[in-house]
Amino acid sequence: MADKKIRDFYTTRRKILKGMLGAAGAGALGCMLVPFGTIKAPSGKKGRQKIAKGDRLVYAVGPNAGKEIKVSDLAINKGTLAFPKGKEEHNNLILLFRAKESEFQKPTKINYTVDGFCAYSAICTHMGCTVEWYPEKQFSFDFPHLFCPCHQSVFDVFHGAKVLAGPAPRPLPQLPLMISGGVIAAAGDFDGPIGPQPGGK
Amino acid sequence: MVYEWLNERLDLDRFKKKYLTKVFPVHSTYFFGEIALFSFVILILTGIYLLFSYTPSSRLVEVGGKKLPAAYHSILLINSQPLGVIIRYVHHWAAHIMIAALILHMIRVYFSGTFKKPREINWLVGMVLFTLAILAGFTGYSLPFDVLSVVATGIGYEIANSIPYIGPAIAKFVFAGQFPSPGSVPRLYMYHVVLLPLLLMVTIGLHMLVMVKQKHSQPYQNKDIAKSGKILGIPLYPQQLSLMMFVFFFTLSVLFFLASFLPVHNVEYFGPPTLQTPMVKPDWYLLWIYGIIKLIPGNWVIPLGSSASISPEVIGGILLPGVIMTIIALVPFMYKEKEPLNYWEPASLRPIGTSAGVAFIIMFIALSVTGYQAELNIPITVCRVYTIALPIIAFFITYFIIRKKREV
Repeated sequence: MADKKIRDFYTTRRKILKGMLGAAGAGALGCMLVPFGTIKAPSGKKGRQKIAKGDRLVYAVGPNAGKEIKVSDLAINKGTLAFPKGKEEHNNLILLFRAKESEFQKPTKINYTVDGFCAYSAICTHMGCTVEWYPEKQFSFDFPHLFCPCHQSVFDVFHGAKVLAGPAPRPLPQLPLMISGGVIAAAGDFDGPIGPQPGGK
Repeated sequence: MVYEWLNERLDLDRFKKKYLTKVFPVHSTYFFGEIALFSFVILILTGIYLLFSYTPSSRLVEVGGKKLPAAYHSILLINSQPLGVIIRYVHHWAAHIMIAALILHMIRVYFSGTFKKPREINWLVGMVLFTLAILAGFTGYSLPFDVLSVVATGIGYEIANSIPYIGPAIAKFVFAGQFPSPGSVPRLYMYHVVLLPLLLMVTIGLHMLVMVKQKHSQPYQNKDIAKSGKILGIPLYPQQLSLMMFVFFFTLSVLFFLASFLPVHNVEYFGPPTLQTPMVKPDWYLLWIYGIIKLIPGNWVIPLGSSASISPEVIGGILLPGVIMTIIALVPFMYKEKEPLNYWEPASLRPIGTSAGVAFIIMFIALSVTGYQAELNIPITVCRVYTIALPIIAFFITYFIIRKKREV
């Protein structure tokens, strides 16, 4: 009887010690993970500069990149990627195009268009790829539309860039336009948040 | 002479007796795992070659009046070396072959029933290995920093970023800031050349250790020939080793053949990152997730209070693939076996399991085809119908074939 008691005492003590050893080891290893939590990411692009009234639009790509876009540059059914001058940041990328004025319907903000010119954010609201201007028939869409090459979302340019097909969750924000001295300019900032929203907000 | 000197000190004879005579059962499907292993070895060797010249940085460098990201420029330099381009393509092809071999290996294990007790551990280790291999593929894709890399990795960032509450913090931590930040390429490089290969080596080691400890499963015809508990096959040295060398060099030559005739990820063709987005498709082994993302309707949003919601990207890019992979990982635990299974079991003995396996394969193919829905001009509603219908049809067809066979 006494033997069993002594044996139990030692085995219990051994179990406690083993448990403590395990806890100490796990704790020590866990502590080593802490430094990783203190790593700071280098600051990348943060937000964007807001587009202001009177910011002139310049070509974003192509041989004319950086040059101002004149009213006479774009014929009907032509489109281009543009930036507000001096605020050439990825999230300020604009898709500017020209169409017949009579084609625009609500929910397009018709007062945002000028002389058939209309502009939307070029950053797809799904995964942030750059949308493209398709004036001709593509798939079953036989009218001008914006198309995202990543997941094939299609936006209806005449109805406020509403999503016609594909996984994009929201229409593209529209940019108010005006003409100043024969050059296309912004008349304010986009009417909604740009690109995909973090945390599914 | 040398052998005797070493033998006196290290008792090599004992080692020889114990390990070089290890018996390997013979069946052509055993080579899938070996091909995956050898592809990994080739990946390491070609990877070391590429490391000699690669610059892990997205900083712009001026080259001939043009500003190019340093990483992209270093890939151009690798391509200009006498053997650079072919070794790069072999590296890329080896990644494809490794993942393809892993999938075939998994299919073999599944339909031969050898995931059952006592091999549940190795099924789970294999799943981890497979996931790590895919992550290695994804991080490797980003390193050339051409326009395709940037778009594809950016989509990965956005999927992580869209997770409610914790997503933005996770995405910023994993990609070192908002992708593409100056820290992103060095961080992805570290994952690709240090962290993932290390974890892969550990999991591969564990996979083999468990395999050696448990011994191979055997084709069921071996049951009638060899005594129970014995393995019918060939010894490691010299027979199995010669076969392995043949498989290794065969894999290597196929890789060089593919690299010579089918160039992959041609950075000169895609060009450095631009503002425009090219038509991108993920690699074939991620095409099924791409298919799910396309299938989920944009209005499938689960609101979580006012500040967050589960978006369709999280459902399609994380939740559903996670559920599918978890179901596959839990397969061994759906069977209650009393006796350990050491011989292959005919697939017809598991009618439901086998039918479900066929249904899953059909589902993966259907989802991958959906990835090309726009190019094939299939309406998305048709895709939704066949992605659900075809696996169910496949399940019942397989099930009734098995039932018919058993009645005969």
